[in-house]
Formats: sequence, C-alpha cells, structure tokens
Amino acid sequence: MRFRRRILNPLTELTIAGLLVVLVLVVDDWRFSLAVLLLLVLPAAATSGRAVHIAVAFGVLAGPMLMFLLLLHGLFYPEGERVLLDLGPAAVTAEGLLFALEMGTRVAAFTGLLLTAALSLEVSELLETLTHRGWNRKLVYVLGSALGLAPLVADRAAQITRAQQARGLVVTRSPLSKLRALVMVGRPLIAGLLTDAADRSRTLDARGFAGTGPRTSYRADTDTAAQRAVRWGLLAVVVVFTSWWYVGRHT
Amino acid sequence: MISLELESFAYDDGAVLADIAFSLGAGERALVVGASGSGKSTLARVLAGQLDAGQGHRFVGTLSVAGEQLVFAGSGSDPRIDPAAWAQHVGYVGQRAHAHLSMVCASVAEEIAFGLANRGVPAERMHVLVDLAAARLGLTDLLERDPRRISGGELQRVAIAAAVVGNPAVLVLDEPFKGLDVAGRRDLESLLAALGESGTAILLFEPMLPRDAGPATRVLVLSGGSMVPVDQDVPGSDDLGRYGVGVEGVAANSAPLAHAVGEDRIPAIRIRDLSFGYGAEPVLSVADLAVSSGEAVAVLGPNGSGKSTLLQHLNGLLRPEAGRVQLYGEDLRGRPVGSLASTVGHLFQDTDQQLFEHTVLREVAYGPRAAGRSRKEAERCALQALAAVGLADAVHHHPHDLSFRDRRLVALASLMATGPRLWVLDEPTVGLDLRGREVLSGLLRRHIRDGGILMMATHDEVFAQAVCSRMFRLGAAAAAG
Amino acid sequence: MNSSLTLPSGTAAPSTRRILLIAGAVVIAATYLYLVLVQPAEIAGGAGTPAGLTTLLGFLGGGALLVAGILPGLNTQAVVLMPVGIALNISFGQLAGTLGLPIYLDALGTVLIGVLAGPAAGAATGVLSNAIWGLFNPFALPFAAGSAVIGLLAGLAARWGMFRRLYLVPVAGLLTGVVGGLLAAPVAAFMFGAAGTMGTNAIVAAFRAMGDTLLVAATKQGLTSDTIDKLIIFTVVALIVYALPRRTRNAFTFVRRHRVLLGASSGDSGSRDESAAERK
Repeated sequence: MRFRRRILNPLTELTIAGLLVVLVLVVDDWRFSLAVLLLLVLPAAATSGRAVHIAVAFGVLAGPMLMFLLLLHGLFYPEGERVLLDLGPAAVTAEGLLFALEMGTRVAAFTGLLLTAALSLEVSELLETLTHRGWNRKLVYVLGSALGLAPLVADRAAQITRAQQARGLVVTRSPLSKLRALVMVGRPLIAGLLTDAADRSRTLDARGFAGTGPRTSYRADTDTAAQRAVRWGLLAVVVVFTSWWYVGRHT
Repeated sequence: MISLELESFAYDDGAVLADIAFSLGAGERALVVGASGSGKSTLARVLAGQLDAGQGHRFVGTLSVAGEQLVFAGSGSDPRIDPAAWAQHVGYVGQRAHAHLSMVCASVAEEIAFGLANRGVPAERMHVLVDLAAARLGLTDLLERDPRRISGGELQRVAIAAAVVGNPAVLVLDEPFKGLDVAGRRDLESLLAALGESGTAILLFEPMLPRDAGPATRVLVLSGGSMVPVDQDVPGSDDLGRYGVGVEGVAANSAPLAHAVGEDRIPAIRIRDLSFGYGAEPVLSVADLAVSSGEAVAVLGPNGSGKSTLLQHLNGLLRPEAGRVQLYGEDLRGRPVGSLASTVGHLFQDTDQQLFEHTVLREVAYGPRAAGRSRKEAERCALQALAAVGLADAVHHHPHDLSFRDRRLVALASLMATGPRLWVLDEPTVGLDLRGREVLSGLLRRHIRDGGILMMATHDEVFAQAVCSRMFRLGAAAAAG
Repeated sequence: MNSSLTLPSGTAAPSTRRILLIAGAVVIAATYLYLVLVQPAEIAGGAGTPAGLTTLLGFLGGGALLVAGILPGLNTQAVVLMPVGIALNISFGQLAGTLGLPIYLDALGTVLIGVLAGPAAGAATGVLSNAIWGLFNPFALPFAAGSAVIGLLAGLAARWGMFRRLYLVPVAGLLTGVVGGLLAAPVAAFMFGAAGTMGTNAIVAAFRAMGDTLLVAATKQGLTSDTIDKLIIFTVVALIVYALPRRTRNAFTFVRRHRVLLGASSGDSGSRDESAAERK
C-alpha cells in the first residue's frame, strides 16, 4: 500500500525531526532511542510513499556504522571490567557491548529521523516556505541551487568520462588508475562548472538578485499559522524539557 | 532606444573592440554578423551592461539607453552600471542558455518569475506577467516542467521569456538559433517577429548571414573587433566573404566528390536490427545499415530523432538493447570504448565538454598517448593534426581561451591525431563560421578521398549535400532507413 | 553622476555582522574546549552526559552564527560559487566512497571556493555544505564547524600567497588537516562512537588496543587521516585552478585582488574599483 503523506509543511517536518534528534541526545538511553526508531520513524517512513528509498539509504548509511560500532567497541574497550571473552589484545566486555548498543541505537535513530524527513520532503516546497517566511534570499538560493546542481554534476562528469573514453581512456581497477581518472575528470568538470557559475552570477545580478528588499514567491504559501504555532510550541517544550532534564531533575 | 559609441574596449590582454557606433530604435531589428573571434559576444555583453571594472576590462565610449547617457573614460571614476536596473531596459540572452538558469527553480514558471520575485513583485501580478511572457514565447504548455530537464530549443525560449518578462525595450540575443532544427528555427523566428511588432528592438548576433534575413533587418558586419561598412543591398556579395562572413545555405565549394567506394567484402560498418531506448521509451531503431570505405553518410532528422544516439553506438558509448553493431566484421559487444579510439574518432555535439586538457598540444596528444605511443611520437602526431586544421601556432594556448571555431577545430584535430579510419561527427557545423566550414569540408573531403569513412549527424542539408555521398534519414517514418 | 542605471559608490559593512562572526567563533571554540577538557572522564559512564548534545548544538549552532555573519556581505559571484562547491563536495565525497579510495575528498569544493572567493566564502561553504549534505547523510551534520575552519584556512592560505609557491600548497593542506582532524575528533567520538569507514576504524581500534581513551584514539586517527586527505585535496585543487582557462581564473575578484595565483594578472584595474565587490 502506498500513499503520500502530505499533511505537514516540509519546514514543520524538518523541525520535528530535528527536535526529536535533540531529545534522543538528551535522554541518551538506548530504550528511548529504540522506541523513537520503532514507534515514530518506522511508521512515518512506511507511509511516506518513499519507503523503499528511505530503507535503502538507511541501510547504506547506518548499516556499516552499526557493524563498525559493534566490532570496535565489542572487541576494543579498555575501560571495560567484566570480560566475557579474552582474545589477547582484544577483549569482549559487557561494558563495551552496552556502549555499542547505546551508540548504535542513537546513531540509528538520528539517521532514521533525518533521512525520513529529508527524503520525503519536496525541495521546491521547502524553498517556497522559507521565502514566504522571509529567510535570507542568499541562504535559500544556496540551499536550492546546491540540491539542484548535485545531480547535474554527476551527469556532467559522466559525459566527460565518455568523451575521454572516446579518446582512448581506459580505467582499470587499480586505485591509482582510479585516482588519475578522478583528476582527469575533475579538471574539465570544475572548469565547466566555474564558467557556468560566472555566467549565472551575471544573470542573477541582471534579474535583481542583489536587491535587499523582501523577496516574493511565485507559488502560494502552503504553511499555516497553526503550523507556525506548533513549531514554536514544540521548540519551547524541548527547551524546557532539556533544562529540566539536566538541571531541575537533580534538585 | 539604445545607442553605442564605442571608442575601445579591452581586456587586460589587449584590445578587443574598437570604433563601433550604431543606434537602434523601437521595433527595429539589427543583425550583427562576424566570424568567430571577431568580438561579437564581447559586444553583446557591453550592450547588456556587463561592464564590471573588477573583472579587468577597460571601456572608453558612450552608451545610451532610455534617454540616459553614460560616459565611460576607462578610469576608476566611471559610472558603475546597476545590472538589475539595466536589465529592465535591455534584456540579454547569451550563447549558453543553460547558464542563464537560476538553478533554484523547479518549474519553468518560477524560472520566468525569478527576476520579478527578486524585486518583490506581488504574486498575483507575477502570475499575470508570467502568463503573458509564456504566451508570447509559446511556453504556456511547459510552465510546470523542470527547466533543468528540457530540450535546447525550449531552454532558449525560457531564457528569452525570463529576459523579456519585465518588458524591456531592447532584446540582445547572442546566437539564439544555435543547435535548433528547421522547425525550432521557424518557431523562434516567428516569436521574435511578434516581439518586434509589439515594439521591442531586437539585436541578434550570428556567425553566418541567414539567407532569409528580411529587408527590414539591418545588417552590421564585425571584423577584427571593428564595424566594417558593407553594401546593404547585396548581402552575400564577395564583400562579406572578405570579412570571413558566409551566407547560410550556400555551400563553400560544391564541386561534386568523386567517391572511390571500396569494393570491400566486409562493410566497414554494419548495423542489423538495432533498437535502443532511454527507459521505456524507444528512441532509435535501425533495421539494416551498411557503410563501406570511402563512403560519407549524412544522418539527417529533426531534434530528438535519435541521430546522436545512433552515432554513439558506433564506438560503444551506447550499447544496443537489441541487434548488432559490427565494425569491419567484428561485433562491438564487450569491447571497451577506450580500445576503439584508434578505429573510431568521435566529435561530440558539445565541443566544450570534449576538451579537457590545459594546453592545445596536450589535448591533441592525449589520444595518441592513450594509444600507447611515446610522448615524442604523440606530439609529432598532434602537431601534424594541428597543422592540418591551421592551428599550428596555438599549441601552448588553453583550449578554452580560443574562439569557438578554433575550439571545435582543436577537438577535430584531437580526433585526427589518433588516425582513425572512421570519423563520427555529431553536428560539426553548428555555430561554425565561414572559415571553420571551409577547413572542415576540406578535411572531410581529404579523409574520404584517402579511403576513410564519415558518419555525420547534421541539420545542415546544404553542407551535407556538398560533402556526403549518401543521406540516411531518421525520424518517425524513415526510421527503417 | 546620478542616474537610475548606475550604482551608488561605496557601501559600509554593519558591525552587527562582526558580532555574529565573533559569537560563532567563540561558540565553536568553547564547545571544543568543553568537550576536550570536561568529557574524557565521563565517556565510559555512557548515559546521562550532555556530550552528544553539546557537540551537535555547539558545532552546528556556531556554524550557523558564522553563516549569518558572512552571507549578507557576500556578492552574487561568491553566492553563486557556493552551491558549486557544495555540489562538488557531495559528488566527490560519494565518488571517493564508491571508488573505494582510502581518502574522503569531501572538502574539495570547500577548499576550491576558499581559494577562489576568499576565506569568508570558504567558511560559509563549509558549514552549509555539511548542513545540506546532512539532509541526506546525517553523519555530515555535526562536522559543520570543522568544515568551516577548513574553508577559512584554505582562503587564508590563498590570501597569504601560499598558492603562488607550489611547494607551500601541501604544507598548507597538512596544517589545515591538523586543525580539521583536531576539531573532528570529538564529533566522531561523542556523536558516533568513533565509527567511520573501514580504514579509520582499523586505526581507532589499534589505538584503543593500546589502551587510549576513545577521544584520544579518535584524535590520533583524525590527525592521521585528515592530514593526508587535506594534503591531497589542496594539491588537487592547486592542479585544478592552475589548469583553468586564463579568463575564467581572472574573473574571480578575490583571485585578482590578492594575486592568489602565480602568473595571474595583478589587480591593477581591479583594485582601482575596490567598492565593486569589496564589502569585507
């Protein structure tokens, strides 16, 4: 079953994800991290309409991290006292495994929260909201343009590689050959991108980008007053909770 | 409307423009023609108000727009043009339309509205203006498309729409027809005519004089950075040729070629039942095509008919989904692209993405080096190829510091240096000036005469007729060829 | 001459931006000192320490203050270059990963922008690059402050003429790598338990086997990997900018004014009109 989750504005979604990351770091307990992961991230990702995409990205990013954490701290944790298995220079300790669990759930929650928010949002809608909220036009530009350029850079690099192959470049599997190929592709790629950027900056100047007044947006605002209130409210709640957690709780 | 009296304009490295004066009134149209390197693009940028002393150029002259006169003395106290205010009066689209995209807009409508949004124009007014500009440039159906993923002709129109959305009195276009097929040219031409009728003064820059330049169009000729007087009534006279300006649709030297088609048992190229598509959409299918040594085949068809796709199958850059591609009886399946470089020379449509070294000599010597020749031997091949295209004295220049024609000739030399028998050229004449065409057609003829093979995709039927012995048409009906 | 088509000459930089810059630098420095001085004893304790939160908020927040101070002062040319640098960081970072190269290469764009557009643009590129990449690779997010410093140092190295003498380029890269490695270590240790790539993990494991605390092991690993990485990046960037066409190279106001590159034309006509882009 696939249905697109289109209830909240992207800015609200990002805010919620960011604040949950803060909570995960504040509470810093593997049970809380796991609960966030299973009770919030999992359903949100499953109903986002891009579940497969999110799952793959999560696997690629967090998978190796989790494995390394287990190996690193499971085997090498000199502070550990309860030794479960002695392997000479390495030792499996209960404290090390617990630390790996703490870190692992936290890293997984952190990754899951941000990936779900980022991969299910529509960039153009986010940019439009930021413009309507009066964010700095240069910041909005850099954000939007970087996200727009990234796939084009890959396309362009592929084209240059093809041109070089047509002239006799053969890339072998050795790392040195790969690094050389990287520089060979990088030089014309960057020269082309910089030339385009010079043209683009003149275009932007001609289109009044250097102006300082408020910018308007062609698209209608999808943000609502209620969501704005929710964002500020959640922020206040997290700040209060954090101060209580670190200060008030112990007194 | 706009008038210019230019005494001199120079970059750090020498004078570029001198002694140019003209003015253009409402609804008038002028065409500036000049060979590659004659200073067309520089002049276009001067008129577009792109004069930033921080970039290292010096301008002496007077520029007037909308009743205001700006005097430049080439000193630090010169007026600094406000690019945004200038663009309200003079719209400009350069040669590389894709570099005119803001890169933040997800739809064509937002791209056109980008300048309005920067000035804080309210949304309702923006919608009205964007719809108007879109209607004027035939973009109404494309408003929701992603401007980063549309065809070259559409991109050109989006860039023009973004330049005219504020209704400037003057529109400056640097080679707007580059790379458009016949239909695309015709569309753009009628849109420009409509703009002119509504009072916009239009200034076009072209390397060749179009055959159908109307009598209402004033022709200005640029040569060596200066304006030269030509006989207005006889466009296409020898006068133009003297300044390196050709007339489109007139073949350079149309003496028919005596084709020495080889009596090979095995054809050099053999394509059987080829089909290819991007994603689910079929782009190309070729039932049977055989080309023998000494043959020159022009691949014709409108934009999007699969010409480039076909050519890229000839050195394995693309692999057929079904069917076979054979060179000299050998199937290309499994052959890496790089290993074919000394058999097949490929000239890409976008020359600038093909050049990747930082001197001309290294660029041209790259192929022979990659084929395993010694540095000395490779440089000898490179110098020979450069001499053949007439660029023997440019060996130490950066390829991208050369004029457009010379860049394309460097790309051609870099292909020739490995000595391939089969030349595969993708739109080699686009944007090329008279001299470039002459050099190119001379080299192509020599290559065929020496028993080489040519496959050339082009929109330029006249050039194709002059050089090629066979036409291969792609397109919905003729795909079976 | 007063005209609607021309710009007024001269603009002054407001001092609020300077305050933001100083605040950002102070927050980053304070976060680092707090983490290094206070935390090492507590790391073994695990839960209940604000180390992770401090790392994220301090480094990201400090970076945000820097961007807030820098961005309004940049001209359009620099603003347009920044996304190019960010896109290059992302592409090369991913490419280095998929090619299995033992270096990161994910600061290549930041260093390039620092060299071509100056230290301020470089620092802002660094922060925003990690913030934006962080949307799709959250592990990049808390390294924002380290990236800012790399962009800043690359820009300063260019301004001080280190790119005019080619033998100084790897030195500048090495020094930048030392600072970058030091700043990255607490992030790696407190946010992610020092887990990274196969290569970096092996180094951390080796130091841990010798009994180092996690932060010390991560710092030593950072010093090893980052210095090599930045040395290579600086060298590659120098090779790239020297291979640029002359006209492209000379179009950068910063490169012209400070004669960043050997053989680039001096800024005599550029410096005459300082106000054109000089907004500090």
